[in-house]
Amino acid sequence: MSNNILEIKDLKVHYPVRGGFFNTIKDYVKAVDGVSINVPVGTTYGLVGESGSGKTTTGKAVMGLNHVTEGTIMFNGHELTGKGKKVDNHKDIQMIFQDPYSSLNVRKRVFDIITEPLNNYESLTKAERVNRVLELLKIVGLPPSAIYKYPHEFSGGQRQRIGVARAIALRPKLIIADEPVSALDVSVQAQVLNFMQEIQKEMDLTMLFIAHDLGVVRHMCSYLGIMYRGRLVEEGTVDDIFNNPQHLYTKRLVAAIPDIDVDHVEKNLVLRNQLKEEYEQNFADYLDEEGRAFPLQQISDTHRVALPVRS
Amino acid sequence: MAENLLEVNNLTTSFKIGGTYFAAVDDVSLTIKPNEVLALVGESGSGKSATAFSIMGLHTKARIEGEVNFLGKDLTKFGPNQFNKIRGGEIAMIFQDPMTALNPLMRIKAQIVETLTIHGKKSKNENEKYAVELLERVGIARAEQVAEAYPHELSGGMRQRVVIAIAIANRPKLLIADEPTTALDVTIQAQILDLIRELQEDLGSGVLLITHDLGVVAEMADRVAVMYAGEIVELAPVREIFKNPKHPYTRSLLTSIPSEEQMGGKLHVIQGVVPALHKLDRTICRFSPRIPWIDASEHEENPELREVEEGHWVRCTCYKNFYLKETNAEDLAELENQELERDAVGGNEDEQ
Repeated sequence: MSNNILEIKDLKVHYPVRGGFFNTIKDYVKAVDGVSINVPVGTTYGLVGESGSGKTTTGKAVMGLNHVTEGTIMFNGHELTGKGKKVDNHKDIQMIFQDPYSSLNVRKRVFDIITEPLNNYESLTKAERVNRVLELLKIVGLPPSAIYKYPHEFSGGQRQRIGVARAIALRPKLIIADEPVSALDVSVQAQVLNFMQEIQKEMDLTMLFIAHDLGVVRHMCSYLGIMYRGRLVEEGTVDDIFNNPQHLYTKRLVAAIPDIDVDHVEKNLVLRNQLKEEYEQNFADYLDEEGRAFPLQQISDTHRVALPVRS
Repeated sequence: MAENLLEVNNLTTSFKIGGTYFAAVDDVSLTIKPNEVLALVGESGSGKSATAFSIMGLHTKARIEGEVNFLGKDLTKFGPNQFNKIRGGEIAMIFQDPMTALNPLMRIKAQIVETLTIHGKKSKNENEKYAVELLERVGIARAEQVAEAYPHELSGGMRQRVVIAIAIANRPKLLIADEPTTALDVTIQAQILDLIRELQEDLGSGVLLITHDLGVVAEMADRVAVMYAGEIVELAPVREIFKNPKHPYTRSLLTSIPSEEQMGGKLHVIQGVVPALHKLDRTICRFSPRIPWIDASEHEENPELREVEEGHWVRCTCYKNFYLKETNAEDLAELENQELERDAVGGNEDEQ
């Protein structure tokens, strides 16, 4: 399908565990273990899971930041994995990081931070660069006076927008946003989320949105993938996942979100306890002998679930 | 009406910035009854943690004024020795980050026994047995083995359970939980909250729950105090806060959370930022700079917290004619521009 800008097929990222006298490989940590994702152009795909479920590793693999054990990643029809990879593609994939405090170099001015990707890929004169940075600052809603300031002079939300400006400097086609708002207060979070949606519309961006906050994900994404121990357990539209979750893990995850409606508290609590019991009793059925989730099965046009294979 | 467990009267905690003291907690009064959960909500920098730390006597360099009455004793008059007797005993605290709250060099059991020996007179053997019981109590499977483990061997959720086990070790009358689940995943968060609720009902303790997650508040709290820039701006039972919020800040905050109704739509953005301590105008309604479309005449000077309905306290008169307004991006940039210009001289100084 040419409609998909990003196609991940059976991605595996395994880390060797070494030990013993000769430091031989004893075992592997299967951080990502057979994940396939297709992301259509201009949409936002949310990757959700607990810490350690492999969502960030998947994002990093797409960025080329960690090595891929097996599987292919196709971006815009080009293969990113394996030999002969084209650097050019990396220009089109950019990342927004979680922590706006540590992802900006404190010793660099905003100008230097934002021009760094530009310098790597485009040869511009100083004046052109200044113009580009001013343009970018305008897009992310920061005043021109910000250009020669240092990161510490900005609030958390403003910093995160500097991070966004840096990410969109090269006019990428795909942005990987790794927990972009989890370090921010709700009021600031709203600001960054609004603004990411605006930019997406304007620049026709595709986003891979990695988060553990389901409320945020529901707000931002059109498709969702739920990860559990390196594998997808359920995939579908936001509606599929939130209103018709099929996998026990997803059900439990959805039920665990604290609801701000005080009328629902009792009901939620009952549901949550019920699911907890079910989870403790039956969850083993949802995993194969090695403790891995089963392969995904199509249950509707958009909805795929890793239900146990009935034998 | 039950006797108040904790009564905080006009608590003011000030930090020294460049030679002068600035109040981070400004004239805060609140009460907690036994068996009650009071949630303290606000953005970072609103003074909610500073309030908790002042109650616990953990701010050694700050100037603290006002009264903190706990079971008839004024804690602000306590010296370090007196504090040590009640901290971890009658008042216990659950910290935000279980990674740093535990001693990495001590076994779990030793850390629990430590609090037990300081506050009790039982033998070492009994204490060790009780430590394992406590671990079971907070829902840790294989408690015997976990007791022998070091913190790094446990997951985040397990560590937070251990922190809670230590907190409840001496059956505290007051439990202060400072963002107890912020560092945890949602499923584990749900478990930890259930646990805190269960223990609280069991022990009949009062709980001061500090959080910025309004979902957690809705599930846990009996009453809610909303803080902004060091002051309580609204104090009401939990239903009232969510169903009938009055103060502009509370209302803005509630509409800025992604919810089902506004899925994919625009979220409400509160203009501007929380002002820095030393730049705060303390004579006006502190939220007024962030709602500039509300006429100055709607605010009062030196706004007070008043009971507008039974049990529902609101600061300032501006709530009466308040309406939400969306700001467009250009206005927002303009405002931030001014903000930056103003900050250019002082820079962002952190709280002490």
